[in-house]
Amino acid sequence: MNFAYYPGCYLHASAREYDISTMAVCKVLGIGLSELEDWNCCGALEASNTLTLSLSARNLVIAKKKGLDVLVPCSICFNNISRANSAIRGGGITKTMINEAIGESYQGEVEVRHLLDIIVNDIGLEKLSKEVKVPLEGLRSVPYYGCLTIRPSAILKFDDPDTPRSLDDLIKALGADCLPFKHKKDCCGGNLLMSSEEFSLKMTGDILSEAKELGADCVTVACPLCHAMLDYQQSKIESKYDIVIDLPILYFTQLIGLALGLGEKELGLDKNFVSTVKLRRK
Amino acid sequence: MMDEFGVVDASNLDPNLKYEISNQLGGENIKRCFQCGTCVASCPIWEIDERFNPRKIIRMALLGMREEVLSSEFIWLCSKCYACYERCPQDVRITELMGAIASIAEREGEEGNIAIKSTKPIFDKAFINSIRKYGRNFEMETIIKGVLATKGIKGLLSYVSDGFTMLKKGKLGLRPERVKEMSQIGGIFKALEEK
Repeated sequence: MNFAYYPGCYLHASAREYDISTMAVCKVLGIGLSELEDWNCCGALEASNTLTLSLSARNLVIAKKKGLDVLVPCSICFNNISRANSAIRGGGITKTMINEAIGESYQGEVEVRHLLDIIVNDIGLEKLSKEVKVPLEGLRSVPYYGCLTIRPSAILKFDDPDTPRSLDDLIKALGADCLPFKHKKDCCGGNLLMSSEEFSLKMTGDILSEAKELGADCVTVACPLCHAMLDYQQSKIESKYDIVIDLPILYFTQLIGLALGLGEKELGLDKNFVSTVKLRRK
Repeated sequence: MMDEFGVVDASNLDPNLKYEISNQLGGENIKRCFQCGTCVASCPIWEIDERFNPRKIIRMALLGMREEVLSSEFIWLCSKCYACYERCPQDVRITELMGAIASIAEREGEEGNIAIKSTKPIFDKAFINSIRKYGRNFEMETIIKGVLATKGIKGLLSYVSDGFTMLKKGKLGLRPERVKEMSQIGGIFKALEEK
């Protein structure tokens, strides 16, 4: 099982622990990763519609030349590159516009896959649970899908947009308790952090408050922007609303890694903002 | 939002606005909207502030309330969560429609035809300049330039101690990562700007 690995800008910077834990977990699970050569930014949430689809499509062309499907852990990149692929496959003037912008005649030959999808549906949870060395018994986690991993479902075609299950099932397969979580598919407001901090901190604050009230030991996420909001912004939210949250936020790859018996450094657990030490002792 | 603007002045409507939007990538389906309000019920921003109402913005755009729509601060408040896009029974693709309207607003803003109050496009520009220069986001530079432009020097200073923590954790690069084939990135920007 070999893929062209598209880390995206976040995983090479503030989401370094997602990059590290992705590579560590894929190695154990036999998912071969070769980094997509000379990849470029997908446009994230900042570029216009036209620029986002065109920038994203250049990466698809590189993957096509390598003959590999693309594996993406970052939900923003996954969403953008999937939408570019879908727009190309849809044909018409959008396809022409994108191909003219990138100077290619790409036809949508490559598949774009989220790492969570590959682990849950290709590797399979049965196989994964057989690899578990340290079952996460007694650990209570809430699954937080956010937006861009699951919507728009007509394009991403991966999990149910109303009742997503992949993270829920994954948490259970690792031996942990998965708590029912109302905010699991709500928006963290990350896109508004720089322009409307008030809104975004409120949105993330609501998510963290529910997780705290449920008595969760950690939140499991699949997106670096969600992670930045829940983890890095957590102390700002605590002082803004005068509350104590102190809740570790783990990438699902870090959670898998713990169950596989991988070490702190291999999973980048020292890089999370909210300390993960008490989780490792559980 | 209509309340804020009072009675609609029918003599001052631009009937071409809806065509301008539907010619923009992402805005193609605007004319399909039959005003059911499913988008509003799904919108997390509306939940916080009822003045942000995607249904009203679409109706105003269809009516041709050009200046009110393009200078509305609410088009910059879309969190891009795709909740409305997912549920819209007419497949208006509202998330991308908001992006299409924002692109027109940005252009009109640059030409001095409207005033944009939100700082969102200023930060976005800092980010896009990084892609233009390196092909990838150089987080350090984007944050310094973006925060300086939107929140001033005081805003930037509030990030300094976090910046050091990030550096210590190896989560912030001191140098940009560059795409080798930068001519291809430049080609994309050039092709789209010529459109």
